[in-house]
Amino acid sequence: MTEVAVIGSGQTDHGRKRDDVSQPELVRQAVALALADAAIEPERLDAVVISNMELFEGRALPELWLGEGAYAARKPCLKVATGGTSGTSSCIAGYHQVASGLFDVVLVVGFEKHSEGHTQTGMALTDPFWDRAVAAGALGNFALSISQYMAERGVTQEQAARVAVKARRNAARNPHAHLQMPDITVEEVLASKLLAHPVHLLDMCPQSDGAAAIVLAGGQTARRLCPRPAWIKAAETRHEQPFIGDIDRRLASMRTLREAARSTYAKAGIADPLRDLDVAEIYEPVSYAELAWYEALGFCADGEAGRLIDEGVTEMDGTLPVNPSGGVLSANPVGASGVIRVAEAAKQVLGRAGEHQVAGVETALATGYGVYAWADALVLGATP
Amino acid sequence: MNQSSPFEVVVAGLGQTGPSPADGRSIAEMVLPAVQAALADADLGYDDIDAVVTASVDLFDGLTASNIAITEVVGAVMKPETRIAGDGLAAALHAACQIRAGAYEVVLVVAHAKPSMADFQDLSQWALDPIFLQPLGLDFLACAGLQASARAAADPEAPERWAETAARRLNAADGQKKPATAADVLDSPLVAAPLRAGMCAPLADGAVAVLLRAGGPGPRLAGLGHDLDVHLPGDRDPAAWPGLTRALARALKSAGLAASDRAFDLAEPSCLYAHEEELFIGATGLEPKTEISPGGGLFGGAVPVAAGLARLLAAAQRLRADPACRRALVQGSWGPAGQGQVVAIIKAGP
Repeated sequence: MTEVAVIGSGQTDHGRKRDDVSQPELVRQAVALALADAAIEPERLDAVVISNMELFEGRALPELWLGEGAYAARKPCLKVATGGTSGTSSCIAGYHQVASGLFDVVLVVGFEKHSEGHTQTGMALTDPFWDRAVAAGALGNFALSISQYMAERGVTQEQAARVAVKARRNAARNPHAHLQMPDITVEEVLASKLLAHPVHLLDMCPQSDGAAAIVLAGGQTARRLCPRPAWIKAAETRHEQPFIGDIDRRLASMRTLREAARSTYAKAGIADPLRDLDVAEIYEPVSYAELAWYEALGFCADGEAGRLIDEGVTEMDGTLPVNPSGGVLSANPVGASGVIRVAEAAKQVLGRAGEHQVAGVETALATGYGVYAWADALVLGATP
Repeated sequence: MNQSSPFEVVVAGLGQTGPSPADGRSIAEMVLPAVQAALADADLGYDDIDAVVTASVDLFDGLTASNIAITEVVGAVMKPETRIAGDGLAAALHAACQIRAGAYEVVLVVAHAKPSMADFQDLSQWALDPIFLQPLGLDFLACAGLQASARAAADPEAPERWAETAARRLNAADGQKKPATAADVLDSPLVAAPLRAGMCAPLADGAVAVLLRAGGPGPRLAGLGHDLDVHLPGDRDPAAWPGLTRALARALKSAGLAASDRAFDLAEPSCLYAHEEELFIGATGLEPKTEISPGGGLFGGAVPVAAGLARLLAAAQRLRADPACRRALVQGSWGPAGQGQVVAIIKAGP
């Protein structure tokens, strides 16, 4: 397997309605920034992977229209779409393409322009017989799974609100983040509109317009072009049962993320993730999910996620800072969100995270979450 | 691509459902028999699959992340699945990358579509530039008609040749029916001038499953190449497929073959419209000795999304059955007037 590294990344400013740009222009902004960050010209790209959930914009095969925006014209181009994991799965697809030796430099770009479609309608297009009437959209089924998780693990609404506050406080140091709420408090989260018990408005991610891109390169090229490449040490994907009722306790078990993490940790030589990882960028569409993911990712034993947030272990100055960028809770252009996780993890290794840089990052985790319980995990590091 | 180490992945199992004009089953029920057939063909079980690459398009299925509908039947529960929203041959080429990368040894590739559920041409409008093309009412068929029109303008005899091509393909695809003639094709309704109904491969429901693995007996997926051309038909040469020329050059390079090598015994192009066979020959520089879609190709039923993978299946079946057939060129295409192109070179096993 050829060694593969992230040598640059770029993101748009994510926001509620980016009506200053068309979809191809939005994509071009992120791609141009990524190429500049990697210090390469578009001609250097061998292939492009595009990530987007096209029904959110009411489109089909969006790469046909957007390809030129991504500098994919007259190049090999693949489009990946797997719900929330689209971005991380696209990064893994690009990683496999470079690792195969077929391509040397691959651009991965994800985008979503929710403001040009209707996300809830898109999310409602699940199985017409069994799911559409009972589990359509993100909120209702999350509320059920969260109640189950809380009952099983004793997590409180205050602890979840602390996750929401941490995310928005971190986002205040990330100029790309959609939500800018530096002074948000736990009380404000708990007092925000109740959407579906126990989830309040400020527990949820926003719906964002935005795009993000990374540049992947094979070992020799990465060393030549980048003083400190962010090497992909391991990556894995796990998909789950199609019907939510068939998934065992979802957030409480999250066996897909557990297994994807276990597999990547083994390949990357991570024995104790809390000790061996320096930073994590995880895909948490709702505050409670971050707590559940702490357990699934082995940051703590089952039942101890509340303690982790209470003790500040995952704050910027904690043992393992989680989502210095503000996470999905602060910006969620779905097709881009997984790419953002990988880009942010890479920036931490590259030392290019600006005001939300964690000092001395050698090893970083990025995860993706999609559909009901699909999961991706990638470990990046300063050495291959 | 390192030329001393050609890109070789074994095509180990083949299965398909359909193509049929309208499959009354659910998507999962339609896909399952194709997967079971591919597994049986390779003498493998679900537990042997390391990873899955699926191809489907949400808008065509009327489902968000429409691979949710098939996660169980393709055996992707608790496994790595990559879902390509594009032609199934591109999915196969990605699976080959995963194997070559050493990530997985046995990868199942599955593509499906059910155009009987909705008007496919109506849906195809939503793949076109919504600012400059979609408001004109263009769809994939209209784009193919514009392309055929550009060729016919320079070559007035062309539609008669296309009628012969269509008749040959229709007859090869179904010898039981009353044989079609070029005159029948030319008498069929004009659908996108100068294309007539008989010059268009009939859309069909179906699924194709192909098992790829890192070694063992069977035909080799030896070379692969993709290309995405610019979008607006006005920005391209309307009478050619330059993207296919580029994709073929990449495939030859990845197979460690000379750029001029055209030693193909068989070609299985994704010709949805009769004029595309000429486009294919022109773009690839294929020599007359190469046999083209002896089974009629997509004129036996064109399943969108699965079309390119169906051509791979047909080529692999032929390489297995006919020792004289040593090397095949397979093509998939998608988008308006062949904007997206994907090519695979298949070699007979040693």
